[in-house]
Amino acid sequence: MLALLAVGAPPHAAGEEPAEAFRSLDQEVQALKKEVLDLNRELFVLEEELLFPANTQVAVFVSMDVGAFFALDSVTLMIDDKEVANYLYTEREAQALLKGGVHRLYIGNLKAGEHELVAFFTGQGPNLRDYRRGATVRLEKGVGAKYVELKISDRAVRAQPEFIIKEWE
Amino acid sequence: MTTRAARTGALRVRRAVACAAGVFAWCAAFTGGAACAREQPGTVAMVGTPQAVRDLHWGEVLFYFYQGEYLESLTRLGAAQTFGRLSNHPLEAELLKGGLYLSLGQHEEAGRIFRALLDQNVPLDVRNRAWFYLAKVWYQRDYLEQAASALSSIHGALPGELEPERRLLEAQVLMYLGRYDEAIRALHRWQPPSGRHDEWSAYARFNIGAALVRQQRMDEAAQLLDEVGRLAASSEEMAALRDKANLALGFAWLKADRPEQAKAVLQRVRLQGPMSNKALLGAGWADAALGRYERALAPWLELHGRGLLDAAVQESYLAIPYAYAQLDANAQAIEHYLRAVQAFAAETERIDQSIAAIRAGRLLDAILANDTADQAGWYWQLRELPDAPETRYLYHLLATHEFQEGLKNYRDLRLMQRNLEAWSLSVAAFEDMVDMRQRAYAARLPAMQATLDGVDLDALEERKVALEARVAAIERDGDIAGLATARELEQWHKVERIAGVLAQADPSDPLVADMQDKVRLLRGTLLWEFNAGYKARLWRARKELRELDVAYKEARRAQVLVERARQEYPAQTARFAAHVAQLQPRIAELGQRVAAAAEAHDRYLAAIAVRELEAQKERLAAYSLQARFALASIYDRASAAGAVP
Repeated sequence: MLALLAVGAPPHAAGEEPAEAFRSLDQEVQALKKEVLDLNRELFVLEEELLFPANTQVAVFVSMDVGAFFALDSVTLMIDDKEVANYLYTEREAQALLKGGVHRLYIGNLKAGEHELVAFFTGQGPNLRDYRRGATVRLEKGVGAKYVELKISDRAVRAQPEFIIKEWE
Repeated sequence: MTTRAARTGALRVRRAVACAAGVFAWCAAFTGGAACAREQPGTVAMVGTPQAVRDLHWGEVLFYFYQGEYLESLTRLGAAQTFGRLSNHPLEAELLKGGLYLSLGQHEEAGRIFRALLDQNVPLDVRNRAWFYLAKVWYQRDYLEQAASALSSIHGALPGELEPERRLLEAQVLMYLGRYDEAIRALHRWQPPSGRHDEWSAYARFNIGAALVRQQRMDEAAQLLDEVGRLAASSEEMAALRDKANLALGFAWLKADRPEQAKAVLQRVRLQGPMSNKALLGAGWADAALGRYERALAPWLELHGRGLLDAAVQESYLAIPYAYAQLDANAQAIEHYLRAVQAFAAETERIDQSIAAIRAGRLLDAILANDTADQAGWYWQLRELPDAPETRYLYHLLATHEFQEGLKNYRDLRLMQRNLEAWSLSVAAFEDMVDMRQRAYAARLPAMQATLDGVDLDALEERKVALEARVAAIERDGDIAGLATARELEQWHKVERIAGVLAQADPSDPLVADMQDKVRLLRGTLLWEFNAGYKARLWRARKELRELDVAYKEARRAQVLVERARQEYPAQTARFAAHVAQLQPRIAELGQRVAAAAEAHDRYLAAIAVRELEAQKERLAAYSLQARFALASIYDRASAAGAVP
């Protein structure tokens, strides 16, 4: 009857040599995955080159710094009085921003010359109050791609959030 | 048991924690990052240590990485590298890329990247992490000596959660190499600074303890497993590990014929946890080994009411009548043996239905029916098995490394198929877009050509040069009238004309003399005005010439750009067209190969499942046979005694 004990053996006693068939299948999947990953990158690059050529490209990014005085809900972006993006952030995305991630809110095309960019940030400000603030910048779009960072940071002295628009070349 | 076979069991535990903590450890290695740097703006950021985001596109890669979207993160990382947008984070980007490949199960690619990093002159911190991840790659590929060597190349502590993970890895690698004493020493060297880190050490202690049991080194095994078995568990995960340790130790004591100790340990297992069935069974056997059959019946009868899918419950169907027989309660023994035979037969029939369902090709879709996550990943694990005929008997199978890996591959292949389908639609749109561009260009070309033809920049340049020469001459000659306005010049010429006419007239005529005086006055006034405004006018003329020059050069530049664009645009569009045209067949061909691989996995996993179910059937058949033998034996004894119970 003690043979029965084998059934109740320790949870780690089981295990067999993985079949050669699995190794071969696994290798095939590895190779396929690599091809799909490479193709993804290639298509992503092509898509950007096709849709947003470097000479007209404008991309707007959102970043957060610390975030003790502001919990971000959404950002609305207007370029030359036209709403081009309205993004509602999930809790997971907001956390990713707080860790140092940067979200590309908008990518589009603009002609060379001067443009006005307005961003509205909504969320919860100090003392859990609803908070809405705007920030404006006049952009000079040249020949190359233009990157704009909408940066939310804490102004510790005033215990208030601060919204900065920074241009990158 | 081979090293590899032994590993599969422990991997189950290791992977379980990888799910919960692996991703966390990853994030800690990269994220802590930005936040720390911001808190300490004065410190010099070293590559590979916490540092602020200095390229927006690097931040974008991290945005998806922190959300666990590894495929998206890797795609954007590759694209950003292609565009040369990560110039401030070159090493960090490579390190993350290797890690992402590892997370997606791409060991070879990950290994290549980490090795390449070690060939470079990189800071110690990056080297340490590259060695660590390389050790992980080698461990997962079964190159244990190399993994041990890589781990020994790390100098100092790794950041965040990577340090306890490294200690666990080190202990496990040494354990699979059979170097148990070193593995235990490695664990002892590791002093957890906080409660969370202790969890890592608990997994390592459990794995090594279980390995020592297999080596028959009971005293050392008991010490490690007992430590884990007495943990003050702060989470369900830790409570489950504690149960596993107590169960493993309990059965080890039973095998070592020390039932008293076995029972004491088995009683620590929670009554409702996933290990409770086996613990109840073991507790019964501990009492039975001590001849206390009545006591043994209590846990076994408790098991009797539980689901027959569980092997421990199945065994209790035989253990109960065995105990009754030992207590000479033959009537109850016979009743329970008969019930066991019926139950085993019914169960076998249900297993046959499951086998038929699996053979009909419904296994993997049933397993993944509730899987809504859309992320590929090495750390993915199926958490709940759906209750369907195809899957009801596969709890044990699902826990095996082999099946989990196959299932993960199958799931990734299905995700890849969806990914390719989505790109296929996009590529069709790309084709339309390229076509539209070509048409729009052809339509615009004549008007553009006409505009270009209508502009004679050379003639403009000649006029500009002439103007510059004129102003230079005026300045050189001090020709103050040269900068007069058109109206002033008209007046000047008129006065000059009148002066000429008066010069021909009789100067003695008082009227002529009077007019000559007036003309002199007018000339003097005009000259005075020219002279007074000369400097300001010369400055303005020079300024206007400079502006003209700038405008002219801009026009020249624009002309060159337009001309270049006119020449390059068709070629560029043709390149796009050619690129897009070769994508659709590539996607289709890759899609077919992915589908074929998914089907091969489906067949392969179905074969494993059927093999598992056949083994369960065999076990039930063996139990049934034992029950029948036992019944026959009781009947024999009864008839020999002259009375049928």
